[in-house]
Amino acid sequence: MASQTENTEIDFSPPAPEGAMQRITGVMASIGTILIFATMVMIVADVLGRNFLNSPITGVAEIAGRLVVAIVFLQIASAIASDRMTRADFLIRIIGDRAPAFAAFLEKLFALCGAVVFALIAYASWPDLVSSWTTNDFFGVQGIFTIPTWPFRAIVVVGAVAAAIAYLLSIAGVGRPPAQTPAQTLD
Amino acid sequence: QAQQRISINIASSHPTANIWVWAMKNVFQPEVDRLLRERGNKYAINWREAYGGTLYKFTDTRAAVSDGIADIGMVGTVWEGAAMPLQNVTYFAPFATEDHELLVEVFDKLTAELPELQKSWDSQNMVYLSSLITDSYDIYANFPVSKLEDLQNRRINAPGTSANWLQGTGATPVDGALTTYYTNIQTGVTQGALSFASGIQPTRVYEVAPNLTRVGIGAMYFGGVAANKAFFAKLPKDVQDVIREAGRTTSKRHGQYVSERATAALAEMKAAGLKVAELPEAEKARWVKSLPNIVGPWIQANGEPARKVLKAYFAELRSRGVKPLRSWDEGL
Amino acid sequence: MELGLGLALIGALIVLVILGVHIATALFGVAFVGVWLIREDPSLALRLLSVSAYNSIADYLFATIPLFVLMGLLVSISNVGRDTFEVAEALLRRIRGGLGVATVAANAVFAAVTGVSIASAAVFTKVAVPEMTRHGYRRAFAAGTVAGSSILGMLIPPSLLMIIYGVLAEQSIGKMFIAGVIPGILIAVCFVLMIVALATFAPSYVYDAERRRLRGHHVAPAMPVPEILAKLLPILCLVALILGGLYTGFFTPTEAGGMGAFGALIIALARRSLGGGRMWRVLKETGTVSVGILILLIAAAFYSRMLSMAGVPTAIGDLVQSTGLGAYGFLMVYVAILLFLGMILDSSSILLIMTPIAVPIAQALGFDLIHFGIITVIAVEVGLLTPPFGLSVFTVKATLGDPNTSVEAIFAGAMPYILVMVAALVLIAAFPVLSLALI
Ligand code: NA
Ligand code: NA
Repeated sequence: MASQTENTEIDFSPPAPEGAMQRITGVMASIGTILIFATMVMIVADVLGRNFLNSPITGVAEIAGRLVVAIVFLQIASAIASDRMTRADFLIRIIGDRAPAFAAFLEKLFALCGAVVFALIAYASWPDLVSSWTTNDFFGVQGIFTIPTWPFRAIVVVGAVAAAIAYLLSIAGVGRPPAQTPAQTLD
Repeated sequence: QAQQRISINIASSHPTANIWVWAMKNVFQPEVDRLLRERGNKYAINWREAYGGTLYKFTDTRAAVSDGIADIGMVGTVWEGAAMPLQNVTYFAPFATEDHELLVEVFDKLTAELPELQKSWDSQNMVYLSSLITDSYDIYANFPVSKLEDLQNRRINAPGTSANWLQGTGATPVDGALTTYYTNIQTGVTQGALSFASGIQPTRVYEVAPNLTRVGIGAMYFGGVAANKAFFAKLPKDVQDVIREAGRTTSKRHGQYVSERATAALAEMKAAGLKVAELPEAEKARWVKSLPNIVGPWIQANGEPARKVLKAYFAELRSRGVKPLRSWDEGL
Repeated sequence: MELGLGLALIGALIVLVILGVHIATALFGVAFVGVWLIREDPSLALRLLSVSAYNSIADYLFATIPLFVLMGLLVSISNVGRDTFEVAEALLRRIRGGLGVATVAANAVFAAVTGVSIASAAVFTKVAVPEMTRHGYRRAFAAGTVAGSSILGMLIPPSLLMIIYGVLAEQSIGKMFIAGVIPGILIAVCFVLMIVALATFAPSYVYDAERRRLRGHHVAPAMPVPEILAKLLPILCLVALILGGLYTGFFTPTEAGGMGAFGALIIALARRSLGGGRMWRVLKETGTVSVGILILLIAAAFYSRMLSMAGVPTAIGDLVQSTGLGAYGFLMVYVAILLFLGMILDSSSILLIMTPIAVPIAQALGFDLIHFGIITVIAVEVGLLTPPFGLSVFTVKATLGDPNTSVEAIFAGAMPYILVMVAALVLIAAFPVLSLALI
């Protein structure tokens, strides 16, 4: 009575054609993936160190907080490229049934909005990256631990640029019709 | 003559019940309104309040005022060790003074007179209005402390710079915040916390940590209320003067309010069963002596200005009759 | 005037989301334009955007989200979720709507190890929906059941929402956890009663008549006790690790995500489920699922700051205070506002906006703030299921990856669960003892 194994398998995004951009987003996403694992290892090490060795790892909370932002911006382009951004698509599917060309146009328009938004994030974050570099900005406490913030700022800028490009590429390569769903009953 | 209305966005990362925000809402705003009315009633403020972290979090207090996201806001320099390191001098020089009202006075003066401190605010696009402090840090724990050895191998919540204060005691500093101490201690993650009465009482940490050991690590300078420079520059001269004056009043009242709150907090906690004991002078002296040179790395990282600020801070303390338990400024 | 603008901006968000703009894009875009209009300065919008992008989720609390997701996926790939579901299925095989009940029961057990509902939603979408469909349940009902019962993930401790509320309201997180136990069980029981009632009195809502006839009445075979125990052992170990660790002080509620993921990793390794590059794929999927949620949290934080600039929280606070309705009148207005915000915002943003406003009022009116917190968390969690912005429903949809089951069908399938939650909310509000008995 076990359900088919493919049901308990995890879904993977369809293999996209490997362009230069795909390779870059792939590498970024992989780094983000490793950071998730690293966060877990760090927390476990802190808990074990504190309880058994009286030596907690200093700064786990701050570092984990910074890592989670890095994880998001390292993986966002990949999520956009594999069409995993959350949205409500019922209206566009209805439109797609009646006027596929118009729906396709809307899809491109929305993707353009996404590109603009992430370009704005990159543009807004750039001055902060520059100042974190020039002022040697850090987090932590002098004499205990300090970590420079510029790599984390840079990840936000690079990630947002990659996200904007991923949106633009999805406009160029929107091969799939948006209304791939036939207007059939829901079940 | 028609009255001119001026909108001011005033904001904080903490709610108005918090000791650092209370005076903004309850002293600063009414004082500005009152002074403007008294002085010709030419201007009236349209306050747009965003207290309680709805506009920015504690991580962004400097950026919020510096970037003009808020026109006037609470700035916790304690969280800005990188951008405004000089303001954190008290955290690197513990056991200096337990008198937080005196600390307000000292930092009002130092910020007004020391170009180094002034520059920190100015280069961050901020105009300093009033000082923020904490009452003195002590140990709240689920065990009594009568000698330094009692801290051996204990896990104590001591976030950020305060972790330094445990160096040499044999205790393990554990990260945390006022909001995590209760659960941490209750579940045994830690056995106590370094904190101050006005902060510990609202979080009811005393229920799980019924032993207060007065160590007198000292009152700390926490930050300031500041205005965005560009916003401030655009205000009419009369309004600027009123805001500065209200800021000075706010400083003073903030200090008094912390005294009221700390006294009331202690009384309430004692009534709820908190056992209060003083750490014997000899033990306190051992603690102070066992501390490594924690101000060293801070001086090294921030150079001459840091040296100057530390010296000026200790000079101000001594001129007021304070005898810091350790002369962190010695040999500078 | 600014408040009018604030309302217009809420309207704009709803329209864009309904049109099908990516929700993060809509939140970012509307908030950006909003700040620009409110403060008449685009550069300020850029500054706030940068601050929000860099700092709004830079917190230990949010770092646990990917770890709870990782735990969910590890539990899924090592078939622990499926085993839990199968045991429930076997035990409940004679009950009408038994698979629906099994989903709820498995979720309730799984809730003891996860702190975020979307992790539950992701796991049981993979496990329960195909199985229910195979047995002739309507896909929309199956998906709705998974979305609906996933809310148990944040009601039964550990719970990310309770951590956030505890931090904001300065209440003990440990007490919040304990207070959530009875309400969590109560709601799970109400879900079960509702499913049985629907299967009995409105079978066409639950089953697809056509497929059910084709399949014939199928009853799962009984499961021998040793098999039950074998299948339950891993999840019980995980529950013991997390609850034991939390209550002995081995780790904090925030660290539970990391420790749970580690425990799930060990189980997955022990079951040899991670060979052939599967570990890497689990981690990649963790990233994809997490980023979909976390980017929404960043966007929602930016958006809620814009609302704060527009004076919306203050206006809501004034509205609440001006009603002068007394304790229960206030509570009704408050819950109504939470339910409304739940339609357009994510849970943590709602807590960030409303808790600081409401807690002082609630305290003045004599509410126990733990009781008030449980009411708040349940009301906020309803928002996970309500359109147009329902994170649990989106997660089910995203994990299902089936173009034939639309978002709105899942929303419709989750509707009965919303009604049950609201009913339970009334009960829990009326009888504080339900949350406070164990404290
Ligand atoms: Na849970
Ligand atoms: Na919703």
